[in-house]
Amino acid sequence: MNTTIIPSKNQRSEIIPEKKKKSQLVSIWKRLRKNKLAVAGLVILTFIILSAAFANALFDYNTVVIQQNAADRLQPPSAKHWLGTDELGRDILARIVHGARVSIPIAFTTILIATIVGGLIGAISGYGSKRVDNIIMRIMDIFLAIPGILLSIAIVAALGPSLRNLLIAISIANIPPFARIVRASVLSIRNEEFIEAARAIGANDLRIIFKHIIPNSMAPVIVQATLCIAGSILEIAALSFIGLGIQPPAPEWGAMLSGGRQYIRYAWWICAFPGIAIMLTILSLNLLGDGLRDALDPKLKN
Amino acid sequence: MNRSKLLEIKDLTVEYRTDDEIVYAVNSLNLSLHSGESLGLVGETGAGKSTTALSILQLVADPPGKITSGEILFEGDDLLKAKRDFLRHIRGNKISMIFQDPMTSLNPVYSVGDQIAEVIYLHEKCSKAEAQQKAADMLEMVGIPKDRYDEFPHQFSGGMKQRVVIAMSIACSPKLILADEPTTALDVTIQAQVLELMNDLKVKLNTSLLLITHDLGVVAQVCDRVAIMYAGEIVETGTVEEVFEHPKHPYTIGLFRSIPTLDEKVDRLKPITGQMPDPTNLPSGCKFHPRCPHMNEVCTKMKPAMTNVAGTHIVKCLIHEGKLDPTEIMEEVNYVR
Repeated sequence: MNTTIIPSKNQRSEIIPEKKKKSQLVSIWKRLRKNKLAVAGLVILTFIILSAAFANALFDYNTVVIQQNAADRLQPPSAKHWLGTDELGRDILARIVHGARVSIPIAFTTILIATIVGGLIGAISGYGSKRVDNIIMRIMDIFLAIPGILLSIAIVAALGPSLRNLLIAISIANIPPFARIVRASVLSIRNEEFIEAARAIGANDLRIIFKHIIPNSMAPVIVQATLCIAGSILEIAALSFIGLGIQPPAPEWGAMLSGGRQYIRYAWWICAFPGIAIMLTILSLNLLGDGLRDALDPKLKN
Repeated sequence: MNRSKLLEIKDLTVEYRTDDEIVYAVNSLNLSLHSGESLGLVGETGAGKSTTALSILQLVADPPGKITSGEILFEGDDLLKAKRDFLRHIRGNKISMIFQDPMTSLNPVYSVGDQIAEVIYLHEKCSKAEAQQKAADMLEMVGIPKDRYDEFPHQFSGGMKQRVVIAMSIACSPKLILADEPTTALDVTIQAQVLELMNDLKVKLNTSLLLITHDLGVVAQVCDRVAIMYAGEIVETGTVEEVFEHPKHPYTIGLFRSIPTLDEKVDRLKPITGQMPDPTNLPSGCKFHPRCPHMNEVCTKMKPAMTNVAGTHIVKCLIHEGKLDPTEIMEEVNYVR
């Protein structure tokens, strides 16, 4: 935004643009900070992201994460291996930390793509004519009729397993729910009087969609996005489990979970800790998402 | 006063078409407005007042709404045939609209100042900062301190919100303001303030005003001319003095009779008997005949034409066309308030 101070005879109003931009971000942060649960979510998420970012400094990939060590296999949690070792003697904590480097970026990217693409499709569908809406929504219905995981499997199987294809597959599987949610809220908002008022001041369709409708339909999208990131992590895990996702020996939470499945009766830690990692990530995202939705809503100010 | 015609509506017909019926909302409506003049459009709920205003800006929702015939000339251009870009240029810039309910006509996620700035930014070639500057000045003009620029609509009271809406509507100094029941959602004290503000601004900016209302008192306070609307038609029009002092149409007379007077004790109000006709199935002939106290057989068959009775005073009634025997209703015709 252009915040140049324009010369004016009236001294009082010159500071408006600059003051405004800052105050909006500050007030969102203030409102978010009041929500204890959201702050807890933010702290957990920051911790997970930081440990993923500095994973190489904490554990060496080649010697600790993928190096098999038969002497140390299936060790319970101890001072040497805080969270125990898996069936190939690899340190579980190290693999969880490195696994976050796979799961979290993929999950965030896929949901970002799905939100943008699905949001656009939904907005066009909700705002456009009945025919456009019908065509788009029937295509979405076809996608929705196929279970997401099956769709992902089909796409990865067709394109071949790789990180990029995994991204594409999970993104596509996540688009229809977003399109539906955005369309539903656009449909309810487009009939609001302030949209008519926007048209009455001469705003064009693009401006009405982007400046008036989408900001008003963010709340359900944010909640859906945080829930879907969780779902996306699970989908990556599921695809890795059937060999279409992350290829071994690279660590990935879902793959670790399924790998430890057969030892669960005498080595519970192999399954438990990756599961807890997934659960904590999802929990923190949901708490943060909930708080963010409230903080972004100006009506709930103070 | 400049007597050039700013807005002229000729033979406007608007219908709402649904699968099983057609609602005849506006039927062959004629209306004109000079620059600097304010016209009150009065009528019952469902008489087609709002539809008329929305058709001027081409904002009638389509579907189901459809403008089937007519011309709307604004400064000589027919808005019904205008291109979308031209319409966007007109909207908010030359013609602006004040909506009925200020609670819902402001976007809840933007600060009020930014919403005013949006109009200015859209129509005047200026930077965002200049638009914001001017928006702040507009706020002061309608009596809201600049400090409240950053506040959101929910932090304002109803009257304040309506002031913001008015500030938006005058921000580009339009030639014509369409005010669709601007005071209906407000309480009486705020109504007075808002009307006073609109009157002031109208004089200051020399804007024309089309004020839609069902409150005859508001018309008397604000308007120069008045048009009475019934079932999608204008039944009587003239200056406020002409219509208020010498109402000629039985419907208008009925409207005035239903207002209680201050110096007389009345137990019951005198409403006009009957209901508004069903707009999907309008009566033949004169649309008012089922409720009219002077209904004659001719009224059911013949559509009345606009008859000039005095000065600019025009009435759409067969009595004044001389189609009925006037002797039996002389008393009524010469009714003076």
